[in-house]
Amino acid sequence: MRAWTFAARSLVRQPGRTALGVMGVAAVGALLFDMLLLSRGLVVSLRELLDSAGFDVRVMSTDMPFAGPNVTGVTPAVAAMRRLPEVEDVVPILFGEAAAFGRDGGPVELTLFGAETGRRSPWTMLEGEGLSPFAGAPPLIVNRNLARALELAPGTAIELRGACRDGAGSLPASRFRVSGIAEFPFDEASALTAATTLVDFRRTCGLEGRDEANLLLVASREGHGPAAAVEAIRALRPDLHAFSNEELVARFQQVGFSYFSQISTVLSTVTLVFGFLLITVLLTVSVNQRYAEIATLRALGFARRRIVLDVLCQSALLVGTGGVLSLPLGLALSTWLDAILRAMPDIPARVSFFVFEPRAVAVHMSLLTLTAVLAALYPMRLVARLPIAATLRSESVT
Amino acid sequence: MSAPIVEARGVTKAFPMPAGPVVAIRDLDLTIAGGEYLAICGPSGCGKSTLLHMLGCVEAPTSGTLRVDGRDVADMADAERSALRLARIGFVFQRFFLLPMLTAWENVELPQAEAGSPRARRRQRTAELLDYVGLGHRSHHRPPQLSGGEAQRVAIARALANRPRLLLADEPTGELDQATGRQIVGLFDRVHADGTTVVVVTHDAAIASRTPRTLFMRDGSIESDATGAAATEGR
Repeated sequence: MRAWTFAARSLVRQPGRTALGVMGVAAVGALLFDMLLLSRGLVVSLRELLDSAGFDVRVMSTDMPFAGPNVTGVTPAVAAMRRLPEVEDVVPILFGEAAAFGRDGGPVELTLFGAETGRRSPWTMLEGEGLSPFAGAPPLIVNRNLARALELAPGTAIELRGACRDGAGSLPASRFRVSGIAEFPFDEASALTAATTLVDFRRTCGLEGRDEANLLLVASREGHGPAAAVEAIRALRPDLHAFSNEELVARFQQVGFSYFSQISTVLSTVTLVFGFLLITVLLTVSVNQRYAEIATLRALGFARRRIVLDVLCQSALLVGTGGVLSLPLGLALSTWLDAILRAMPDIPARVSFFVFEPRAVAVHMSLLTLTAVLAALYPMRLVARLPIAATLRSESVT
Repeated sequence: MSAPIVEARGVTKAFPMPAGPVVAIRDLDLTIAGGEYLAICGPSGCGKSTLLHMLGCVEAPTSGTLRVDGRDVADMADAERSALRLARIGFVFQRFFLLPMLTAWENVELPQAEAGSPRARRRQRTAELLDYVGLGHRSHHRPPQLSGGEAQRVAIARALANRPRLLLADEPTGELDQATGRQIVGLFDRVHADGTTVVVVTHDAAIASRTPRTLFMRDGSIESDATGAAATEGR
């Protein structure tokens, strides 16, 4: 009888205790799995989101993403960058606040983008046209939430009052005509978003004459890649800060997302310690109850190594079974937790905190394997040091 | 009689205790020839079980020389002693100590598997042994489903699984009623008749009366070592 079979039979002999142990490991394993998903979830999710936007380089005025002053001299900068062989397209972006007027006449606050789109645009059209003049009025693209809230459809007229800076309340309302409905990748679930041309954005926000943008979205040319595009832009405009998506994510990971990484590390460690203690206690109790059997096996000629292996196999079976169960349990739990976290304000709807990666399964299994081995060490030591004769004597008497 | 299977010269076994070492076996000399059948008797605490455990290479002497199957127990590593027990020595315990999660068949098959015996040979040997002890029909029952006598017979079959040269039994009838005990003793007689050296530690006069040789121990020493008629008269 192989050690695995023997260990399985030993475990099945105490079905209640074994079931509790497996469930305990499954619960601990599920938490561990979730912490592993959380540790890189935002990073992976943000990277996917950035990549899905169709631009692989972002240019800003400082090395703190989205935190510094505007990029100035946008028109010549965009023209020069568009001439770079490494660059396929450049889209300058401005963003601010605006108010529309609902059917009841009350203001509806929304996020307004201004963009000078070329071959690419930073949103995905769902209905209608892009930013082309529509029936003589400045074009406006709206997201589904805004379209639903104000009953907008392509062709509908709408007035916006910019609220992009202090004193903007005195700005006159600008009339737009909805040219299309689009999905904006960084929208939160309930966001009301609209976009227009850079010129119309400046007019709405009272920024005429200011050749500025919050950032420039750059698509590298195929065959060159984002790294080459970043290098070329840095050489062209050393005063600006260009980041590939990879670099941007790395910066976020260092700054904003490190909290999640730290929390997940602490909680992973705690869950592993719980798992370790649980298995150690279960195996130790099991070994204590089986002293007579173990001493008998040793007296019959079973080598110490073989008996120790039996304990290790029991640990591996408990942790292995619990670990396998923990994966679907952890995925279900992560879906629930993700829904809670994504309900926080200012979180893009397409960002997930828990993202499944095969790597997480591999790390999860490795950590549980390590836990199984460590948890078995003490009971293995008990078994290895069990005095055969003394145990047989005492078990015969008791 | 064939060559000795056990040779003990000046063997002492002491257990360290907080109040000082307790000597369980004191300067003991003993030779057991291959094929012998002997009982070790004596009052509780006289060192019978300790001697049996030393004969089974479960414990090494504190001093003196003990050779089992021609090998010095003190010179053997733990793994070597395990291998010797597996191949050459069978143990029968007072409380049977069968593995409760295994069937009678599996309990008997287990030491053979551990010794690396091929599956076909194991099957044949297990069936043969369960028939030998009269439990062929109970092979798929687990120990809790067996009576005390049946469990002890399975334990004897298990002890014989790897065809040991030396069978050691520690109070094998201690947990059984008299009638069942007699069946077990009959089984030991058969095992001995089939050529195995049998050493039985017992308080049971029924066993001691049937062994050709009886050692009587007191305070860790052999007080008497009687063979043949003397052994019977000595009782």
